[in-house]
Amino acid sequence: MGRDKEKEKQRQKRNPSEEVLNLLRSRLCNPNFIFRLFSDSPESNYSKLRFIISSSITEASNNSILLLGPRGSGKVAVLDLVLGDLLQEYPDAISVIKLNGLLHNDDISAFKEIARQLCVEHQLLFSKMASFDDNSQFMIAMLRECGLAHKTIAFVLDEFDLFAQGKQKLLYSLLDAMQSVTSQAVVIGVSCRMDADQLLEKRVRSRFSHRKLLFLPPSKEDIERLLDHLLALPLDSSLPHKYAAEFNGKLKATLADARFKQIIDTYLNSNFTVNHLMRFLFQAVSYMDLESGFLSLENFKTALSSIQRQPKMECIRDCSIAELYLLVCMRRLEVKEQNSYNFHSVMTEYKSIHDSFKTSDYYSRNVCLRAFEHLLQREIIRFTDTRGSSQSIDFRPVKLLISSAELHEGLKSYHSCPAMLLKLMDH
Amino acid sequence: MAKEESSQVPKRTTRSSSSAAVSNIVDESEKASKPHKPTVSEHGFGEEAGLSLDDLLSNFPGRRNQMIEILRLLGPLNSPNFPVFIYGGVSTGKTSVILQVFRHLNRPFVYSSCITCYNSRILFESVLNQLLLHRKSSGNGYSSAKRCEKPSDFVNFLREALVNVIDNLKRNSGKLNSNKCHGRPNGNVIYLVFDNLELARGWDKSSTILPFLFNLQDILKMPEVGLIFVSNSSPDTYYSNMGYIDPIPVYFPDYTEDDLRQIFLTNQADHKLYSSFLDIVLRPFCRVTRRVDELSTAFSSLFNKYCEPLSDLRGVPKEEMNRRLFKHIQPHIVPSLNDTFRVRSQPSFKDEANQQTRRKSSIKASGSREDFDKSDFHMSTSAKYLLISAFLASRNPATLDSLFDSTGGSNRKRKRKASVKSMEQEEITEQELLMKGPGTFPLERLLAIFQCITSFVEDSLGEEGTSELRIEGGGSGLMSDVLLQLSSLCNANFIIKGGSCPIEGSTRYRSTVSEDLALKVARSVEFPLSNYLYRR
Repeated sequence: MGRDKEKEKQRQKRNPSEEVLNLLRSRLCNPNFIFRLFSDSPESNYSKLRFIISSSITEASNNSILLLGPRGSGKVAVLDLVLGDLLQEYPDAISVIKLNGLLHNDDISAFKEIARQLCVEHQLLFSKMASFDDNSQFMIAMLRECGLAHKTIAFVLDEFDLFAQGKQKLLYSLLDAMQSVTSQAVVIGVSCRMDADQLLEKRVRSRFSHRKLLFLPPSKEDIERLLDHLLALPLDSSLPHKYAAEFNGKLKATLADARFKQIIDTYLNSNFTVNHLMRFLFQAVSYMDLESGFLSLENFKTALSSIQRQPKMECIRDCSIAELYLLVCMRRLEVKEQNSYNFHSVMTEYKSIHDSFKTSDYYSRNVCLRAFEHLLQREIIRFTDTRGSSQSIDFRPVKLLISSAELHEGLKSYHSCPAMLLKLMDH
Repeated sequence: MAKEESSQVPKRTTRSSSSAAVSNIVDESEKASKPHKPTVSEHGFGEEAGLSLDDLLSNFPGRRNQMIEILRLLGPLNSPNFPVFIYGGVSTGKTSVILQVFRHLNRPFVYSSCITCYNSRILFESVLNQLLLHRKSSGNGYSSAKRCEKPSDFVNFLREALVNVIDNLKRNSGKLNSNKCHGRPNGNVIYLVFDNLELARGWDKSSTILPFLFNLQDILKMPEVGLIFVSNSSPDTYYSNMGYIDPIPVYFPDYTEDDLRQIFLTNQADHKLYSSFLDIVLRPFCRVTRRVDELSTAFSSLFNKYCEPLSDLRGVPKEEMNRRLFKHIQPHIVPSLNDTFRVRSQPSFKDEANQQTRRKSSIKASGSREDFDKSDFHMSTSAKYLLISAFLASRNPATLDSLFDSTGGSNRKRKRKASVKSMEQEEITEQELLMKGPGTFPLERLLAIFQCITSFVEDSLGEEGTSELRIEGGGSGLMSDVLLQLSSLCNANFIIKGGSCPIEGSTRYRSTVSEDLALKVARSVEFPLSNYLYRR
C-alpha cells in the first residue's frame, strides 16, 4: 500500500493540473460549497431560514414557509445547508421528510413516500401494501408522537406548485394536522412560481402562514466573490505551493480583465442565476489546457460560444439544397397569404418557380417528398392538425416553425447557397 | 483490433462493424441487443475495451471537434460532471461516437434508448436491469428485476442500485491500483446515457417525465452519477412550462461534403477508383441529402454500375479510363437521383402517440407504392377494377357519377369560359382540392361505380371477355366476393377505412393510391381511366 501511495504522489507531481481540474469540477458540482460563502451574513436567506426552523425546534411550535425564486437560484441548496447544520446542532430533535412535486404529485404516492421516509427515520417496518388511509393515519399518529417527544419533523416540498394541483389533499392534511397543539412540524415549500401561494385552495391557504423567502439573483459583488471563492486554489493543500500561487495570480489577472467582465456580463444577461453561472464556469473549466494547467480567457470565450447556440440557424445550415428550396417555397406561399398548405401545394409552387426561372435544382416528386420528411424530422416544419387524421403525409397541412427573418439569415450564412434562393426569398 | 473495427461504411452488415459505422441505422440492431451486453463485464465494454485516442479519432472522420469536446466535458477519472445534451440530425454519429468514447475511456455506463424503451416504465426498468445486472430469460419469465411504473419508485430503486454499484466500483478501483487487470471499467463514476430522447416527448405524462429526467441529477444528489442525453432535435424543442437548468449542449452538425468523402473512402479496396467515382457522384447527391445512410445505399448500386466496364478496360491509360467510366456512369446519375432512396430509418414524422397505428399504415402505403413502381404486380383483375373504382370515387365529385351509366366517358363535354373571375375561382378550388386530398365515399357508391365500369368492360369485350370478368350484375355471390377483395385492399392500405359519417352513420372509405399508380393499374387491364377522370 505504501508503495502505491508513493506512486500516486509521483503521478501528481508530474501532472498537478489534472488534480486541479478535478478539484475545480467537484467544487462547481457541489452546491454546499457554493452557498457556504453566503451563509455568514445575517441578512442572507441562510440566516433567516435557519432562524425560523431553529425557533420551531426550540420553541416547539409549528411553522410553514415558502422559498420562492427562479430556477437555479439555490433554494434547495440553502435549505439543505440549513438542515444539515441543524441536524448537527440538534442531532435527535429533527427529522427531515423530503418530497418532490415531480415524483409525488399524486396523493397516494406522496403519503406512501412520507410513510416510507418516516419508517426509515424511526427504524420502523414499512409495509408496501399499506393503503392510502393507513398511510395518512400513520403520518398523523407519527406527528403526534413526535410532538410529544419534542421532535420536529421538517417536510420539504420541492416543486411546491405541483402539489397544488388537484384536490390538495396532502397539503390540507399536513397543514390541518399542524393546527393541533401537540404536533411540532415545519412545512417548507420550494417553488419557482412566484404565485405559488395563490394556487392554494381557500381551506389550505387559511392554514398556511404566508411567510415567504425570496431568492434573488446574486449582485455584482457577490458574483466576484463567488468567482474567487470557486476558482482560486488553496495554498495549503497537497498541490505544489509554487504552482498554486502562479495559478491564482493568473486567475486574478483574468478576472480583472475587462474582456472577461464583458463575457460574464453577456452570459448573465440571459442566465442570471447562480446555477447557470456554475454551468458556464464548469464548461470553461473543462476546456482548461492540461498541458499548461492554467485557466485562460480563451477558455471562457469558447465556453460562451458553445453554450449560447442558435438551434434554428444550425438546423437551416444542415439542410440540403433541395430542402432549402422547399422551405423557400413555403415561405413564398405564406407571403401570398395562403395560410394553410401541404406538400402538394408546396410542390405546385416549386414547379411554378422552376417553370419561370429554370433552376438547375429540379427534383422529382419522390425526392422532394423525402426532403419534406427530412424537414419534418428536423422540426423546421410541423403538421398543423394535431389529431391524427387518416390522410397520408403529403396531404396533411403543415406550417413553418421559423420566421422569415431567421430563414433569410440562415440562407445568408449557408455555405454555398444558390443566389437564386435569396432572390426568390425577396419576391 | 481497431482496424477490424473501422469497417466499410457503405456495406454495413455485420454487427461488429456497426459499432464503428458512422450511421445510426445499424445501431438500431446494436441498441436492441445492448441491454444484455453489459452483464458480461459489469457496465462497460469489457474485453473489447481500450481503444486508443488516435484510433477513436480516426474512426470518425469529421467528428474530431465533437469528440474532443465530449472528452473534455466528461473530464478526468472520477470527476463529477454536469448533464450533457448531445444533439444533431439523423445519422450524424451521435450514438456511435458516445459509445466509442466510453469504450476509449473504459468507464462504466448504462445505455438505454427511448426507441426500444417505448414508455417510461420500460425505460426505468431497463436502467435498473442493467444496474442490477439482471438479465431477462426464460428462467424468470422475461420479467424485469424490479417493477416500477412511477418516477418516485424509480428514484428509490435507482438510488439503492447506484449506491451498490458505486461501492463495488470503488472496491474494484482499490484493487485495480495494485495490479492492473483487463476488462474492468475504470473509475467510480457511472454514466447514464439516454438515447433518442426526442421520442419521450410523445409519451403520456411527458410533461413530467422530461423535466424529471433533466432534473435527475439534482434529485439524486449523487456526484458519482453523470447524465448524458442524446437527441435528434435541438434543446429548444423541449421547452415546457416546467423549466429546468439546461444541460450543456454539444452539437453534431451534418457532415460536410469533405467529411462525406472521407467517410466513404474508409476501407474501400481501391481508393483511387472510388475517389474518382465520388468526384462524379458526391456533389449532385449532396444537394439532395447529406445523410450517410441514404447516400450509402444510393452509392452502393451506382458504384457497381460504375465498375461494369472495368473488365474490358484493362491496360487502358488512367485518364482515358476515367473518361470512359464517366461516360458510362453519367446517364445513370440523374435517374438514380430522382429514384427514391429506399432505406428508411425510423418513422420520420413524430407526432402524438395516438397516431402510432395511422403512422404505420401510411408508411406501409408508401412502401408498397415504391414497390409498385419497381416491379410489375400481381393482383386479381376484379381487385384491379375495385382499385380503379375506389380511385375514381375518391377523385371525382359524386355529382358526376351519372356519366358512368353511358357506355364510355369519352363523350363527356364540358365547356368553360375563361373569364378572369372564373380563373380566380378555379385557382381557389384547385388549392382547396390540393389541401383536401382524396375525398371519402360510402361503400354503396364504390359498388355502383364498380358495377358500371365492369359492365362497360363486358360490353366492350363482347363475347370474347375473359371468364374472370363474367360477373352477373347484382348477384349476391358477386357482392360477397367483392367485399372480400375490398377488405384485402383495405388491409394492404390501398383503401383506408375512415371514420363513419355523422349523418348517414355508414363507414366511409378513402383511396390512397397516387394517380400514377391508378393509371398504371388501368393500363394493365386496358381500361381508359383518363377518360373518366374529372379534370378541373
